[in-house]
Amino acid sequence: MLRKFAVLAAAIISMAILVSACAKKGEETIKIGIAGPMTGDQSKMGMDFKNGVQLAVDEWNARGGVLGKKIEMVVEDDQHDPKQAVAIANKLVNEGVAGVVGHFNSSCSIPASKIYMDGGMPMITPATTNPVFTEQGYWNVFRVCGRDDQQGKAAALYVTGTLKATKVAVLHDKTTYGQGLADQFKSNLGNSVEVVYYGSVIQGDKDFKSVLASIKDAGPQVLYFGGIYPEGGLLVKQASELGLNPACISGDGCIDPKFIEIGGSAAEGVYLTFSPDPESFETAKAFLAEYHKKFGPHGPYSIYAYDAANIMLKAIADTGSTDGKAVAEAIHKGVFDGALGRVEFDDKGDNKIANYVIWQVKEGRFVQVTN
Amino acid sequence: MELFLQQIVNGLTVGAVYALIALGYTMVYGILQLINFAHGEIYMLGAYLGIIILAFLTAAGLTAVSLPLAILLTIIAAGAICAAYGATIEKVAYKPLRDAPRLAPLISAMGVSIFLQNYVMLTQGATDKVFPAVIPAAGVTVHGVEITFLQIFIMAASVVLMAGLHLFIMKTRMGRAMRATALDMKMAGLVGVNTDSVISVTFIVGSFLAAVAGVMVAMYYGLVNFSIGYLAGMKAFTAAVLGGIGNVPGAMLGGVLLGVLESLGAGYLWPEYKDAFAFLVLVLILIVRPQGLLGERVPDKV
Repeated sequence: MLRKFAVLAAAIISMAILVSACAKKGEETIKIGIAGPMTGDQSKMGMDFKNGVQLAVDEWNARGGVLGKKIEMVVEDDQHDPKQAVAIANKLVNEGVAGVVGHFNSSCSIPASKIYMDGGMPMITPATTNPVFTEQGYWNVFRVCGRDDQQGKAAALYVTGTLKATKVAVLHDKTTYGQGLADQFKSNLGNSVEVVYYGSVIQGDKDFKSVLASIKDAGPQVLYFGGIYPEGGLLVKQASELGLNPACISGDGCIDPKFIEIGGSAAEGVYLTFSPDPESFETAKAFLAEYHKKFGPHGPYSIYAYDAANIMLKAIADTGSTDGKAVAEAIHKGVFDGALGRVEFDDKGDNKIANYVIWQVKEGRFVQVTN
Repeated sequence: MELFLQQIVNGLTVGAVYALIALGYTMVYGILQLINFAHGEIYMLGAYLGIIILAFLTAAGLTAVSLPLAILLTIIAAGAICAAYGATIEKVAYKPLRDAPRLAPLISAMGVSIFLQNYVMLTQGATDKVFPAVIPAAGVTVHGVEITFLQIFIMAASVVLMAGLHLFIMKTRMGRAMRATALDMKMAGLVGVNTDSVISVTFIVGSFLAAVAGVMVAMYYGLVNFSIGYLAGMKAFTAAVLGGIGNVPGAMLGGVLLGVLESLGAGYLWPEYKDAFAFLVLVLILIVRPQGLLGERVPDKV
């Protein structure tokens, strides 16, 4: 009995030493949390986040860090699962990070934002586009990207104006992002367009032929998909196998090279709504060159993650503290010139300058087709 | 009518794959009364091996010379490697527990399943793997129904494999030994059947079929990740129960029925509940006819 107790006591003491050692180490750095899908089918997006933030943090550290301390990245994986997002949000709060860059999915960012607010820390998402995120009235939320009401409208205008379609099918993946975007698109179509099919697929499924066969039967000229590239790529591929060849249009969740890789030749000609090509920005040249040298080709949201991290760090430097409220205040008021150009936030935390243009897959690449 | 036929064709393709995987569940259950939860992971391994081997053959230039030969080689090689996996798993994880309480090998099976998933995730990465685009998406149109050559191949290969399995069980010496072992393992051992080798052969055959299913699915969807074995395994298990677990023709019937039911349900009712149909069928079958459509014995384990 006594021996058991001694072993237990020794274990507790050694754990306590470990914990205190961690706490000591933490005081010397300022921690920035990075949250997104780091594993699983959407891990490409998470890695783009991580690399973008890494680049910003490396640059700051090379200049001596922030507030005289080195910056440390705390990368957490939400597996694009809302439950996991809440768990890692709590973890990041306990870890005492100064702010969070993330998450990717709307379904993750929205529940996590409450936890960061309660923990008193700002979050800047590079990619969450669902309007609800900034409509909750939280003081701590910011997004560098645009909103789905802008994005859905841009797609709807293109479908009615340029493609002149009258019969449209709308599909989504039942996630906060996918369904939100699809509904924004649908509500912006106007009276001249008939929605001949509206339905959803299961995220993570691989076989969409049943729903596509029903869509084929409805005979749409345009198929809209609100969702992410693994399902998007398979949808266009299986649609063409079924002889269903409408104009396909989707949102920023599909604008990734993996979409073309999965969709193969069927991805050719697919339209996507996204912000303008950073390769045409004078401000993005240095970022892109450095990113390509370090990590290879950039993903759609690499540059947003980079700017989000820079905004967070600049606000901390300007405030002179890591107090969450003060930092959020500085982000609200600040004017930030980053790789995307100028970024300013409104009272809700939306980027004032974001806009959406139409892209298209041409010869295996994404090309901007409207201005 | 075209739409209906199209849904049937799509359902038959998926159902053929379910049936191939279900055979492994049902054969193992028939002999050991063990539900081999690691079986879905064998299918996942087959899909990965298919990608790796075909990429290798493409690099070696064989795909350009003869695509059918390359695909055949891929299927046989992936099947052989997975058969080895299956036999090894049986030796390592189930054989030492053969006399243990029934729950022990079941938990061991779950352990193997978790191990294999994580092993593939760590060695192959957590991201989706895309199947090399060597198979043309071409097909034929019959009365407005689009059938790709790959779908025809999947259905034909499944029929050939199932017919082969039926002949193997019914006409060969080993098949007779398997049937004897399934009826009464102790008695079969007493009359001179080497039950250990019968069990090994069962795992080898079941794993081979699952691997073939994996390679074909990888070709069909062109996308593979380490977690596909879970859902496919669950569906195939449902198919095996639907047909009557332990019953080989039952697994074939169950798989095909499940594929068609899913396809029709998703096509005509609610596509977002596609996976739910499979498990709704499982619940109904367990309530109304627990022994399954063709089953004789009531599954009293698990």
